[in-house]
Order: sequence, then structure tokens, then C-alpha cells
Amino acid sequence: MGTVTVNGQEIEIGDDERLNGIEIARRAGVDVPHYCWHKGLTVVASCRMCLVETGMKDAETGDVSMLPKLVPACQTPARDGSVFVTDSEKVEHARAFVEEALLIDHPIDCPICDKAGECLLQDYYFEYGQQSRRADLRPFTSSRKNLGETVTLFADRCVMCTRCVRFTREVSGTAELMVESRGAREEIDVFDGFPLDNKLSGNVVDLCPVGALGDRDFLYKQRVWFMEKHNGVCTGCSTGCSITVEENQDTVYRLRPRENQAVNQWWMCDEGRYGYHHVHDEKRLTDPGQRVGQKDEPLEWSSLGERLPKHLESTGRLAGVISPHLTVEEAFLFAQLLRSYDPEARLVLGHVPVVGSDETFPSGFTIHAEKCPNRRGVEEVLRHFTGGVTPWDEIVSQASTFDGIWVTGGYKTEWVDTETAGQLRQTKLLIVQDMFPSAAWECADIKLPGVAFAERNGSYVNFANRLQSARWAVRPPAGARVEGSVFWQLLGNPGLYKSATVLAEVAETIPFFAAAAGAIPDTGVDLKAPELAPTQ
Amino acid sequence: MSTTERVLTDEMVDAIRAYFSRYPDKQAVTLPALHVVNEALRYVPRQAVVEIAELLELSPAQVQDTLTFYGYFKQDKPHGETRAWVCRSISCALRGGEEVLEHMCEKAGIKPGETTEDGRLTIEFAECLGACDFAPCMLANKTLHKDLTKETAEAFLESLD
Amino acid sequence: MSAFEPVLLANIDKPNSHTLGVYEAHGGYRALKRVVGDMLAGDVIEEVKASNLRGRGGAGFPCGLKWTFLPKDHPGPIYFCLNADESEPGTFNNRILMEEDPHQVIEGLIISCFATKAATAYIYLRVEYPLAHERLQAAIDECYAAGYLGENILGKDFSLNIYLHRGAAAYICGEETGLIESLEGKRAWPRIKPPFPAVEGAFRKPTVVNNVETAACVVHIINRGAEWFKSMGVPADPDNPRDAGSYGPKLYCLSGHVNKPGCYEAPLGITTRQLIDDYGGGVWKNRKAKAAIPGGISMGLLSEEEFDLPLDFAGPGKAGCLGLGTAAVVVLDETVSMVDFLHNSCRFFDHESCGQCTPCREGTSWSVTLLERMRAGKGRLKDLDLLLEIGDTIGIVPGSTICGLSDGAAWPIKNAIRKWREEFEDYIKTSNPTGYMETDPVEALPIVSHGH
Repeated sequence: MGTVTVNGQEIEIGDDERLNGIEIARRAGVDVPHYCWHKGLTVVASCRMCLVETGMKDAETGDVSMLPKLVPACQTPARDGSVFVTDSEKVEHARAFVEEALLIDHPIDCPICDKAGECLLQDYYFEYGQQSRRADLRPFTSSRKNLGETVTLFADRCVMCTRCVRFTREVSGTAELMVESRGAREEIDVFDGFPLDNKLSGNVVDLCPVGALGDRDFLYKQRVWFMEKHNGVCTGCSTGCSITVEENQDTVYRLRPRENQAVNQWWMCDEGRYGYHHVHDEKRLTDPGQRVGQKDEPLEWSSLGERLPKHLESTGRLAGVISPHLTVEEAFLFAQLLRSYDPEARLVLGHVPVVGSDETFPSGFTIHAEKCPNRRGVEEVLRHFTGGVTPWDEIVSQASTFDGIWVTGGYKTEWVDTETAGQLRQTKLLIVQDMFPSAAWECADIKLPGVAFAERNGSYVNFANRLQSARWAVRPPAGARVEGSVFWQLLGNPGLYKSATVLAEVAETIPFFAAAAGAIPDTGVDLKAPELAPTQ
Repeated sequence: MSTTERVLTDEMVDAIRAYFSRYPDKQAVTLPALHVVNEALRYVPRQAVVEIAELLELSPAQVQDTLTFYGYFKQDKPHGETRAWVCRSISCALRGGEEVLEHMCEKAGIKPGETTEDGRLTIEFAECLGACDFAPCMLANKTLHKDLTKETAEAFLESLD
Repeated sequence: MSAFEPVLLANIDKPNSHTLGVYEAHGGYRALKRVVGDMLAGDVIEEVKASNLRGRGGAGFPCGLKWTFLPKDHPGPIYFCLNADESEPGTFNNRILMEEDPHQVIEGLIISCFATKAATAYIYLRVEYPLAHERLQAAIDECYAAGYLGENILGKDFSLNIYLHRGAAAYICGEETGLIESLEGKRAWPRIKPPFPAVEGAFRKPTVVNNVETAACVVHIINRGAEWFKSMGVPADPDNPRDAGSYGPKLYCLSGHVNKPGCYEAPLGITTRQLIDDYGGGVWKNRKAKAAIPGGISMGLLSEEEFDLPLDFAGPGKAGCLGLGTAAVVVLDETVSMVDFLHNSCRFFDHESCGQCTPCREGTSWSVTLLERMRAGKGRLKDLDLLLEIGDTIGIVPGSTICGLSDGAAWPIKNAIRKWREEFEDYIKTSNPTGYMETDPVEALPIVSHGH
């Protein structure tokens, strides 16, 4: 262990730790402002906002010798004996000068700029800036240009941190962004005819410290200070990026990645980022119903608790199809539920959507071809209840041999065609619990509207056997019920459905999930790989 | 790209390829490639940037990034048959360089950076041409014109006709 | 003035001095033959170190010492870059060497590559030197033909290729890591240090960057020895262990308001007054000198009273200038307006700032805006304080920027305003009698842009 001094405070640093001045200061609770530094990108030390004073402390004498010149904290390693001073007059003046310099030509667009409220230029102005303008007054320009389908550029707001350019060169490896010209005339741009169109493009908007880069999907839709942020997990594929779901009054406006070094570093792909619109699609199912003769009649959720168990107990041979979109908790409850009606109920894995092949980017970030979040989790629940994993094709082809089949869905895209639905229909009682209409929904006897990822609490296990827990962000449309809540109540459990309680039981009951006992950290928990890897 | 008509001739491509063995990395051939094209065409149109990028296994944005850093390569249309760089740095300015530049521009009817209608002459200002012993001076294509005066500048303009 | 026997300029007046034949007839490539035949790389480094040769490109860093920063026993490749991007306003000595005596430069380069074990050398040559390009290329071709370049030079286990690499008119390509970035095909944004080029330079390999005149000196150090080299110049201050002295012959460029602008060779340490009077034929038009740039515009200004300081590595600093720089002296006579001078300087640095780091990009732009408004008759006294604050804040000296371009931008501002404050104030008051006292921000002038 070593000791680093930050503004007189002594901070410990591990022998193996490679931290810079910004990171060690953070540990001391000190913010070193910066624009261009980002741990996921190369260090350029060009914004000069993170300038600090540094020196060394003699281990024996305790004497401190400081360097006469300022250094950027981002490029200065913290070592045993390092001394950092971030609050001297010299540092404050240097910072204020950088801030003032950036504001000389920056259009004061705050009232019309998306970034207001989460803009570093704003924040640092209030904390570290000069009080009033000293440079000449010039009418500000404000131009806008689309760089591609997902990102738009307000070039005049740019502070030349080059994070976006470095991202496209180092992380996505696509190099669409460039700096044009030289000196104070520099601007970010794309080459005509070669737009910004890689699958990670949305990340540059997160990276932009100011409002120069705008997200076309989010542009002008909501002020950031009205939104609540909820920790979630992207359900677009089996990577399971950690995200925040940002909403106001039950409308989701934006998804953004959370840092998780074990899963997605700092990034998420565009498909995941912009893949939330289905939550508010007007085609969502909101009316529970039952088929009587040739017609659908409304079904009260409140009556379900009474009628369904009686119905199912008397039905006979049951099968349950567990969608890989259900959470671990929901999969567990569903299995319990079906087995409570029929101790021999067949439990199978629902449709696993696969599109294309896995795509890995130069930084290591991978978009998986498996477009669901919890196949691994559902599989392990199935193994526990049935000793193995059976795909639902078996049930489909043998539908007539079952008296009742309960299918869970929750897919964003089509997952069942007319033919398959026709086969399923061979069973006596078909229950479909889903988000969107489908051929199966059409012919179901009992129709139960389910919810979207942003509306449920629960956990998912990604491709690397990491379990992460997501929080609900918005309430489901009236008429749709969280699957976990439905199962919980049908099981006769007291009180409200709390996914954490169920997860604790799962961790206790199923060895694979043992590591998920206790509170789940924001970045999830690594479940051990199963002893015997299942054959696919 | 409205047209995919190739701009780089086989000759230019061969010339660019000849540089590959000099560097461990193709990106290093960017400036030499730009010069090859610029010398042949008197500018580097955007289509050429796309083709150079292909040859060098870079994105067009990477080549354009480098190109626009320097004020040397025009992109919209060729510069004049004669490109006259008139120095405006301190040693030339002290000996009347700015006045000569202004005079030349007036006589030629163009501003620095512009090309005459007939395509014969582009006047540019240069930063220190490194010929301060002959200030004020001008580099016209490959010829250094020394000890420029308004008169000799005018004579130079006339010599282009 | 005792007769100083030219060393670096010894050959330039000879007809066809740029050809191999003439060069060899006057002892050319003798040093190379001795080095390759009788010496080890380490011996050459030791000799150059012992000479205390300091880089002639502007920074004055001890050359031999820089060579020792290369990692020992590196498997290679090691690259050598000859910085022929000479763009510092007032400077033209490299041009003369390359045009009139390219073989001297090349011999020095080959010897330097032998010492540093570089197998590939790039001469980064500014595009505005077409004659130098022609002559250097011809000289290189002659060397290949003569066996001084290529595989197994002079039959020894030493191979070297030299390639000319042309720039495209950007001053910052003269900064060593800006040069490397430009060589690699990217925009010439200087790199943060560490790592230093000797450890991680061109193509991420160990690289040495040296100036043209520095390379030329190496030839003579080998031919005549370190002690000879140290017999010229100004010895190190014995009380200052950090002073490396100012040894050897130096090419001084003299231009501006003198009767005989030109490149003059003298031992390091002559004064500005000596240069003007003894070499330059005195101030032109029978005028008096007002000021002089001591070493390229980045160094700032000496006032006439300061003309007796030696122009060695330590001298100009004593008058508050940045240093000796490229030893390019530019003389301003008594009729020059300091406002015009400073405008020219600020305009240059604004044009050439690479734009990478905030203080330089915005500071140089701000400074030229202030000077333009001043010259348009709308200056304020407060503008002088703003300019000084910019000057004191930007640069590697305070640590606020990545490279020294901003120090070059800052020093003329600081010297001009601090040494001629009254002149600036008079100018402002006279040209803007109604507005010079204003302290609130005023309207900017409309932007006029043309060219690039």
C-alpha cells in the first residue's frame, strides 16, 4: 500500500493500482474538473481543465517538493509519495482561464440546448468560472447538422475535447468522425457521404461533455431535470448492458449506459439504446380477456385469483413455456405455480430470438446475436425444476397431448407464426401472457397482458453468467400486470410481489444462484459457471 | 457521392504505392499521397480523398482530417497554374511585404486565397518562407522571387500573360 | 573583429558546392569514413556529449544527452527524423545549408544515425523549400551511388535509408512530436510527454529528432574533436551546474531593417549590436534601431539598450526574452509601431496554433482579436491587461499547454507590452479617445477571413 496526499488529505493507494490524479482525488472526495479525459479512451490531456499542482513527499523527512509548473491530473500517475494540490490560487486561476476561454465563442444556447442540466460547461462555470465576460461581444452562431441517423451536431457548441473522434477510432473502430481545419477554426464533422452509422454511435452523445452532440431520438423531448433515473438492464440481447432508464411521469424518454467494467465498460449499442419505444407502443395489449365461444370477453384481473387455480387444477396435464424475457424471479415463480397445479407439469424454454451473429468491436464490446436478456437464467431455473432444458418445439408439436399450455412471451418482435399458433391451439386450454398481439394471442382461451422491461423489478443472467437486478422505471399501462405479480398472487403468497424476496429464495434453493444471496451490487454479481457445461 | 468516376489515374496510384515501402504504416503515406494528387490536379477533390483512403486502408474522414489541418490543399477547384505565395511574416512585413501583397491583389483583382477567372494565378499569403535575407519575397510555384517591390510584383503579374 | 574561419558555411561560396564531387574534394565524408571504420556507436555519442553541442532548432537541448535517452539494446527499429521544417519567422539558415551544402547535412545525419543505431531516417522538409528538396534528393541519390547510404555502408554492418518527407505549410510540424504525428500521416497535434520520443516516438518506436544545423555540427565535431568545438563560444557558468554552456559555431540569421540581411557564422555569444554593425552593415536608411527579435519571433524582443547581451543560450533570458531560439535576429527601426509588430506576431500564432489545447487555441485567437480591434481604433487600456494575462497564462512554462508554441505566442506579447507600455497606451488613447477607458466588454469587429 502507498500513500498519496490530496489537498493535505492522506489517501491509500494499492501497489497494483494504476490511478491518475483525477481518480486519486475522487477517492479523497475531491472533484478535479475535466472535459477530455475518459477512462475508456486514450489520454490526450488537451482540454487543460484538470491542471493541478503536483509534487513528491519524501518518505523519510516528510518534506514536500512541488513542481513549479502545473500538470494535467489526467496524465499524472498517482504513486506512493505523490502530492496533489487542486485548490490553490494557481490552479483556480488556470481552471478559470480554461473555462473562460471555452466560453469566448460558445453560443449561450442553454435555453434551447438538450444538455442543459447535465452540461459540464454549465457546471464548471458555476463552480470554477470567472464571474463575467471579458472577451468581445459577438453575435453567436448556432448551426446544426445531422451526422447520421442517430446523432446530430451543433458544431458551435463544441469544446474540442475530441472524445467523440477518439471513440469512433478506438472503440467502434469505424473512424467516421474527424476534426476539420486548424486552430480556433476547428470543427468536428463527418466526411460527406460517409455518415456516422456504426452500431455504437449513440455513445458519442453520452461522451460529449456539452450540447454539441445531440441524440436525435431524444432531441427536444424532455428536460433532464424532470426525469428520474432508474438502474436497469438492457434486455435487447444477452450482453445485458447496465443501463439507466430515464422517465418522467411514466413515460420513458431515454436509456443510457451505466459503467460496468464486467459487462459493457461504459457503452451500449444503438439497438439497445433506442429499443425502448415499444414500451409506449399503442399496440400494446391492455385488456385481459377470455375466449367464450367465438368471442373474447373481458376478464377481470381480480377474478383471476379465484377462477384460474380452480380451472387449472381440474385441467389435467399442463405445460408452461418460460420466455427468456422473464426475469429469474418470474421464471421461478411461474415454475412453482404450474407445478402447484400439476406436479408433473412440463416446463420448457420459450423461443430464443437470434439475429445474425455476435459482433465484437475493437474495444472488446460485444453485441450478441441472442436477442433476449435471460436465457441463461431461465435455463438454470428449468434445470432445477426439470433436470434439463427442453426447447418449446416439443410442446408445440405435442400440444394435443396437453390439457393446458401457458405460454409467456414479452417479445418486442414476432415470435410465433400462424402455423405454430395453430399447433398450440391443439391443446384444450391455451393461456397466453404477452405484450403484443400475435397469432397465439388471437386464439388463446385466456389472454393476460404482460409488461415491458422498464415496468418490472427483477434479475437477468447474461451470456457470461452475470446476474444483474433491474428496477422498474414506469408503471405499466392500465390493464397490464407485471408477470411476477400475477404469479405471486396466484400462488397465494401474502402481500405484494417483491422480487428481492423471491431472489433470496432462488439463491437459497438453486445452487447456481447461490452468489445472488444478499444485496445485489449495481454492477451485478458473477454466478459461477455450472460444473457441467450443458451441451447446447 | 454523386459520381464514382475515379479521379486517381493509374500513374498516381503507382506513385502512391511506391511510398509504401518507406514507412512501416500506410497512414504515413497520407501526405505523400496528397502531394501526388495535388501536383497532378492542382487540388485534391473529395473523390480523391475517398480513393486515397481506400489505398491507405483508412476512412475518408481520417484522410480529410489530415488534409484540412494544412492550408495547402484546395478542394473545390484547382488553384491557378501559378500559385504565388507572398510572405506576410515579420521580416517581410518590416520591409513592405504586406503592401506588396495588397498591391498584387488589387492588380490581379482577387483576394488572398482566390484564383483569377482565367485560372492562371492564385495569390496566397504565406507565413515565413525562410528567405528573410531577400525580404520581401514570394514563392511562385517553385521559383523564389526576391526583394519584391510593387514594381517587380507588377512585372511578375504581367509575365504571366 | 578577429577573423573567424567559417565552419558550417565554409563551402557555400564554392561553385557547385551542393555536389558530391565538390564536397568530397574539400574533405567531405572523411568523418563518416572514420566513424564507420574506426568507431563504435557509443564512441560517437561520447564525443558529441563531450562537445556539449546544444540543439540548434530552438530548444537548445544538449544533443549527445538526448541521444542517451534511447533505450539500451533496443531490438529496433529506431527512427531518426531530421527536422527541416524551419518555419520560425526570421530563420533561414537551414535553407542555406540544405541548398548550398546538402552533403554536410547528410553526412551529419548519417553519422548521427550510426551513433543512435537508426536504420531509417526521414528528413521532414517544409514544402516551401523546393530548391532544398531538389538538392537534398540529388545529394541523397549521389550518396546511394557512392555507397554512403543503403545496405552495408562502406562495407560495414551499418545500413541506412534516408527518405525525404514533405510537409504542407504548418509551423507546428517543427515541434518534435508534431513532426512525428505529421510524419505518421495525422494532423500535427503534438503529443503529451511522457513518453518522450526517445522511448516512444515515430510509429511508437524510439526516435531521435534533430535540427539540420545540429546535424551539420556533428561532422565537424568528429573531424576536429569535442575540445575544438568547445574552444568557441561561451563557457558554462561554473557556479551553475545546470548550465550546459554555449559552444561551437553558430549560424545567425539577420534580417529586417539592416543594410545587409543574411546568414552569418560566428562563435556563439556575439551580441546583437555586433551582428548588426559588424555583419549587417548597420541599421538601414541611417536610422536607429528600436528593438530586435533575438532568435526567431517566439523569443520576444530586446530593446535597443539590451543589444549588448551575448546571443548565446543564456543571454536573451537575462533581458526577459524566452531564449536564443533559432538565433534569427530581426531588427526593427525607430519608425516601427509596436502595435503593428505585435499584431503581426499574434496573427502568426493564431494562424499556426494547432488548436489542440484550450489555452493556446483560444488564447492566440483572443490575442489577435484584441490587436485587430486596437489597430482599428477601438482599443482599450484594459486590453493591455488582458493581453498580459493571456501571455502570463498560456505556455509550457506555466504548464498550461502541451507544447511551446503558446510560449512563443506569449513572449512577444509580454516583452512588447512590458517594454513599450507607454507606446501602447499612447496609441490606444490617441486612436480611441472616447473609448479607451471602457472596461465592460465591447462589440467585436466583424470577422474577415480569406485564404486559409
